Amino acid sequence: MKQLLLLLFLLPAWLLSAQDGIIRGSVIEDSNGEPIIGANILIQELATGTTTDLDGTFSVDVAPGIYTLQITYIGYQTLNIETVEVAAGQVALFENIRLAESSLELAEVVVTAKVIKTSEAALLTVKKNSAVMMDGVSSAKMKLTGDATAVEAAKRVTGVSVEGGKYVYVRGLGDRYSKTTLNNVEIPGLDPDRNTLQMDIFPTNLIDNIVVSKNFTADMPADFTGGLLNVETKDFPEEKIFNVSVSTSYNPQMNLNSDFLSYEGGATDFLGYDDGTRELPAAANQETIPTPIFFSDQEVSDFVRSFNPTLAVERQSSFLNFGAGLSLGNQVDLGKGDDSKSKLGYIFSISYKTDYNFYDEVINAEYQRFSDPDAFEIRYATIQDGEIGEKNILIGILGGLAYKTKLTKIRLTAMRLQNGESRAGKFDIINDGEAVGQSGYIANSDNLEYNERSLSNVLLNGTHVTGQSGWEIDWRISPTISVSTDPDIRKTALTYTPVDTFFSAGAAGNPSRIWRYLDETNIIGKVDLTKKYVFKGSDAKLKFGASHAFKERDYEILFFDIQFFANQSWPNPLDASLVLQDQYIYPNRPNSIYYQSGNNTPNPNAYSSNINNTGAYISNEFTPIRNLKTILGVRAENFTQRHTGRDQKFASGDSSGRNLDNEVVLDALDFFPSVNLIYALTESQNLRASYSRTIARPSFKELSFAQIIDPITNRIFNGSLFTYSDWDGNLSETRINNFDLRWEWFLEREQIFSISGFYKQFDNPIELVRIPEQQTSTEFQPRNVGDGQLYGVELEFRKELDFLSPALRNLSISSNVTLVESQIDMTDLEFNSRKGFERTGETIERTRQMAGQSPFVINAGITYSNTESGLDAGLFYNVKGSTLSIVGVGLYPDVFLDPFHSLNFSIIKRFGKDRNSTIDFKIANILNDKLESSFRSFEAENQLFSRLNPGISFGIGYGHKF
Amino acid sequence: MLATALIFTACDGDDDGGSTFADPTVTAPSSVKEVANGASGESVDFTVSVDAGLTATYTATGSGVTVTNGSGAVSGGTVTINFDAGTVAGAASITLTVTDSENQKASGTAVIDIAEDEKTVRLTSNISADATWTADKVYVLGGRITVLDGATLTIEPGTVIKGEAGTGANATALLIARGAKLMAEGTAALPIIFTSVADEIQPEDVAAGNYASPNLDPVINGLWGGVIVLGKAVISASNDNDEDVSEVQIEGIPTSDPNGLYGGTNDADNSGVIRYISIRHGGANIGSGNEINGLTLGAVGSATVIEHVEIVSNQDDGIEWFGGTVNVNNVVVWNTGDDGIDTDQAWRGTLDNFVVITPAGHNFELDGPEGSFLGGHTIQNGSVIASDADRVSEDLINVDANSIVALKNIYITGAAEGQKINRITAVDVIFDNIIINVPAADLGNYVNGEPVPAGIVAGTTPQADTSVFGWTWASKAGAITGI
Repeated sequence: MKQLLLLLFLLPAWLLSAQDGIIRGSVIEDSNGEPIIGANILIQELATGTTTDLDGTFSVDVAPGIYTLQITYIGYQTLNIETVEVAAGQVALFENIRLAESSLELAEVVVTAKVIKTSEAALLTVKKNSAVMMDGVSSAKMKLTGDATAVEAAKRVTGVSVEGGKYVYVRGLGDRYSKTTLNNVEIPGLDPDRNTLQMDIFPTNLIDNIVVSKNFTADMPADFTGGLLNVETKDFPEEKIFNVSVSTSYNPQMNLNSDFLSYEGGATDFLGYDDGTRELPAAANQETIPTPIFFSDQEVSDFVRSFNPTLAVERQSSFLNFGAGLSLGNQVDLGKGDDSKSKLGYIFSISYKTDYNFYDEVINAEYQRFSDPDAFEIRYATIQDGEIGEKNILIGILGGLAYKTKLTKIRLTAMRLQNGESRAGKFDIINDGEAVGQSGYIANSDNLEYNERSLSNVLLNGTHVTGQSGWEIDWRISPTISVSTDPDIRKTALTYTPVDTFFSAGAAGNPSRIWRYLDETNIIGKVDLTKKYVFKGSDAKLKFGASHAFKERDYEILFFDIQFFANQSWPNPLDASLVLQDQYIYPNRPNSIYYQSGNNTPNPNAYSSNINNTGAYISNEFTPIRNLKTILGVRAENFTQRHTGRDQKFASGDSSGRNLDNEVVLDALDFFPSVNLIYALTESQNLRASYSRTIARPSFKELSFAQIIDPITNRIFNGSLFTYSDWDGNLSETRINNFDLRWEWFLEREQIFSISGFYKQFDNPIELVRIPEQQTSTEFQPRNVGDGQLYGVELEFRKELDFLSPALRNLSISSNVTLVESQIDMTDLEFNSRKGFERTGETIERTRQMAGQSPFVINAGITYSNTESGLDAGLFYNVKGSTLSIVGVGLYPDVFLDPFHSLNFSIIKRFGKDRNSTIDFKIANILNDKLESSFRSFEAENQLFSRLNPGISFGIGYGHKF
Repeated sequence: MLATALIFTACDGDDDGGSTFADPTVTAPSSVKEVANGASGESVDFTVSVDAGLTATYTATGSGVTVTNGSGAVSGGTVTINFDAGTVAGAASITLTVTDSENQKASGTAVIDIAEDEKTVRLTSNISADATWTADKVYVLGGRITVLDGATLTIEPGTVIKGEAGTGANATALLIARGAKLMAEGTAALPIIFTSVADEIQPEDVAAGNYASPNLDPVINGLWGGVIVLGKAVISASNDNDEDVSEVQIEGIPTSDPNGLYGGTNDADNSGVIRYISIRHGGANIGSGNEINGLTLGAVGSATVIEHVEIVSNQDDGIEWFGGTVNVNNVVVWNTGDDGIDTDQAWRGTLDNFVVITPAGHNFELDGPEGSFLGGHTIQNGSVIASDADRVSEDLINVDANSIVALKNIYITGAAEGQKINRITAVDVIFDNIIINVPAADLGNYVNGEPVPAGIVAGTTPQADTSVFGWTWASKAGAITGI
């Protein structure tokens, strides 16, 4: 690997004689932004030249000097670019040179190099003419704004909101209805239970573009409804890239805080993986673990001692957040001066980040209604308040190699992400014995967690075009392996009584330890064929293709409880660090600690699932009537999900329990038609209408027998395969009909104004439901609820403020406002149980809002951009309306995610020779808002379900291009 | 390739047609087949050969076993004979005879060894038909064993039942579902013992009157689950004003097991008879605050008989009632990890004559109705030891503001500093002759609130009739003294 990198560094020097420079660029069609293949590039002074390749790009080596570039293509205006300056060893770059179709009036256009360099990006043209409603940012735009990572760049896309600093959502629809792809291929995120990929790992200088599609066409995967976000990495960097960057940030609450919570980890924690410190002892992995029953004192004692003895959190000082990155890339001509010459492109980046988060005043609570309909207020069952300290390490490595000739391109990209998050929490717990199902206690807990995730992805992609016949074939194959483990989640909760402190199984519970393992393998293959042709005098395009996705996940949870084989007797005061001491370990007395297994053989909390999804589509883009572009398509997907797992009944030896052995749990052949109509009202205004059918499928976790407890909150997720009372255990897909209508007006310099209306109809939506019959523990299950629908309007604009005053020339404001009305038809169970807890004066309707759907989303930003002075600044605001997050039933009120008013500021200054250095400064969460969810009940004061306070953070970064 | 091979075989057969057919052969397994006493669903494989041009049938007869597929056609080179083992230990056999279409015969005999009747019966499946557990065996609960609706489980006096170890979903328990019955009628001389597999106690010990565990201290808990009886009587649950969800899931049973639902409309429901049983070392938890009581009574109706019950060292409560109407008499609760006596959801019965000795939680955790249905219970004629040298309970009596309970003739000794009756303001809680063994002048220190109600007095007179507890481990260990 090292040698290969060295070679790549040396190649350009070897191939390019020191005194030469390069003229490089790309040519696109003015009307639709698509690359022009085979355009002629002539350096007039030298009478030499080249032609554009399948990407519409070209590259010519010339001696330093000043040249005129002539670009010609049959049927298009000839473009002359004058005063092109080429310096030794430098690249004179002309991205997205537009060629317009020739007209009688104007056969030839002359511009200067300086003018054309500052022309707009191609993306807006693509957007204007795109088959689907889409938005995005191009590399040219990212270069202008100086954003460091994809997440900052994506923030500039209208309709996009950023969650947790790394996840991107579209139109306020939740994760279930969003999707992200990398280079048009689905890859699982680092968090395998999310559909979306975290975006803070991609440096912008290696990204070609980010595009968000808001509606579906047949060539896309059918399982998104809100938005599909694609990140396309560069294959042939236009210029040599060699950047290093460092950044740091400070949050007064989180960094340099001597009260930061942590616990003793391993020696490799700083590299994002555990060195074995948290590994499950080998003897714990067998059917019968050594307990005082049938095992010798020595065996039990050795077994207890084989576990890591740390149970307590520690107060430590946190440092500043820190990040560093290196990225490089270039393209190299192989075979000089030959017109059929081939090119090699490469990219490589490595980044390292370490972040500290510290939340004080964290709340997790459970509330109940009273049975008396006149008692409006709700009462708590349990309230936990405390602090959480998190230390997060993220290492990302991305590499790519690409090779192309004029008509063929092959590329290979590889990515590896490694993430380790160590978390320590300390909570005071109060449980009210008067609440239903509760025993009443006061406790204090120490929670230790570690989550290690890694993702390895490879993409092999080939693109071939034919010279004249208009065919393009593109194939991709991409395997991904992702691993997520939670080794040794420890919870130690001491129960306090007026007379004693001890562990009480009937109150706050005995200390427990959990190991969770998740492995997922994905392989995606796809091939797309495109044929360009002319229909009734207009360009038309026929696309068809096929894809196959195979995914397989193995999951297992192992659980152990500390038990006492003697009377408990502890030092006073007791804390978690005093528990696993030698003198208390079996067979020593008092306490006589041993471990008991919570794991059946076979394990009901282990499963293996796989899916096979074969897709095929055909789509035709044509203009049947003047100015009415029409895209008709249909996609078929044959989806099969199989599950290997068993319920607890079977696992405990009862043959009447359910045991699935690679049995089909979802199986459907679906057809997804789509119709997109674009009517050009004027040169710059479009009216769009579309209909499509899409799908949202249950995840592996949702379609399982897994019961996953969150050790901090004690909330338990139940897989949907469990039948329970009114729930039959058959979780089905959600099928959605989407209708969209949009008027859009494109103005100069990326200014835009649009209004959209949309209507979506959901068949069998899936929501997380509180299981009403279980009153002692807090349990949830994903279920199909009644059918749903939503309709909404979306208003979007980006406007420069120079119309107010020329002084405001560089200021622009942009906003995206979405208002949504959603509605779910309640099941009889839900309606009746709500009815049973109807308050006096309350009217329970048969419908309610959809879970996960915000009633409104507002994104707004003011940006200042001055390319001449190299200064770019922005103030961004985002808020989502109160969103129903957990459907409460009967005794339990609904839980809503409260609006989080996110206001962030960033300023970037480029300076130095060739503006090669950048310094940026950021403030996040200026309003110091808190992330809160709350219980809501008729006429009752809202009560917190959960709270995290991220605080205000200040960041500064420095980057340098070599 | 395979197809070609098959065709060749067929051709060979044709060539041999008309000539002499080979005799069939039967080869029994050379080793002796060992099976458990009374085991069902066993099988033995014979290797057979039949001339390729002929077909054949077989017959099989058993000695000491019952063959379940006694005749059939031979196909392939193996004949599998299924059988159920008899209950007589020792040698048994199966003879297989093969007869081909030329009426040529061959036979072979497989030898089967039926093991001695096991003293231990491990249970892994729910009980759907009436069953009896006998005192000559030890019954091991290999999981959460449920007696299903319609079935009756009878347990003979002197029987020992042991739960395997486990926590969470892995916890073992005996669950009597709604509509099922438990007939566990022990006697003072032959009580029925529920304990852990860690306990070395045997039915012979019980028969000999040695009721104490030979190897486990009476403070060890959480080794297995407990006994849960669910019925159809009325409960006052949070959703009892709702017609579609009139039932809730019992504490200690994971949500995924619907046999844990209880409650209904039949106050006179009958879940059977429980008499002279001792439940020990249980209380495994399935999540914090959600664990198994020694004896859990969910919506148990008034036709059920429950008397002479001892709970020793359960990790959760001794006995917990969730609604229902059953009366319970003559109870000993000793060294529980949580509460001694716990009532919820408007239980409407009476607990009469009991002792509670040093629980780690509350002696009495008496909750009010959770729904609109109201009802109360009576707890009378009992004695409590609230602390000793090693163990101390959380308080003396714990009631909620909405509790409905009459407490009569209860003697509390061993009251330590800080232990109190938590509330005297609950309007539906009656204190009648609650005697605390403290100096009269200090009485106020043991009662939260003033003035001390007239029903709470200082004194030294035990109130339980301990003469009926002579059969219990607590009594034999000398724990029932001074009360």
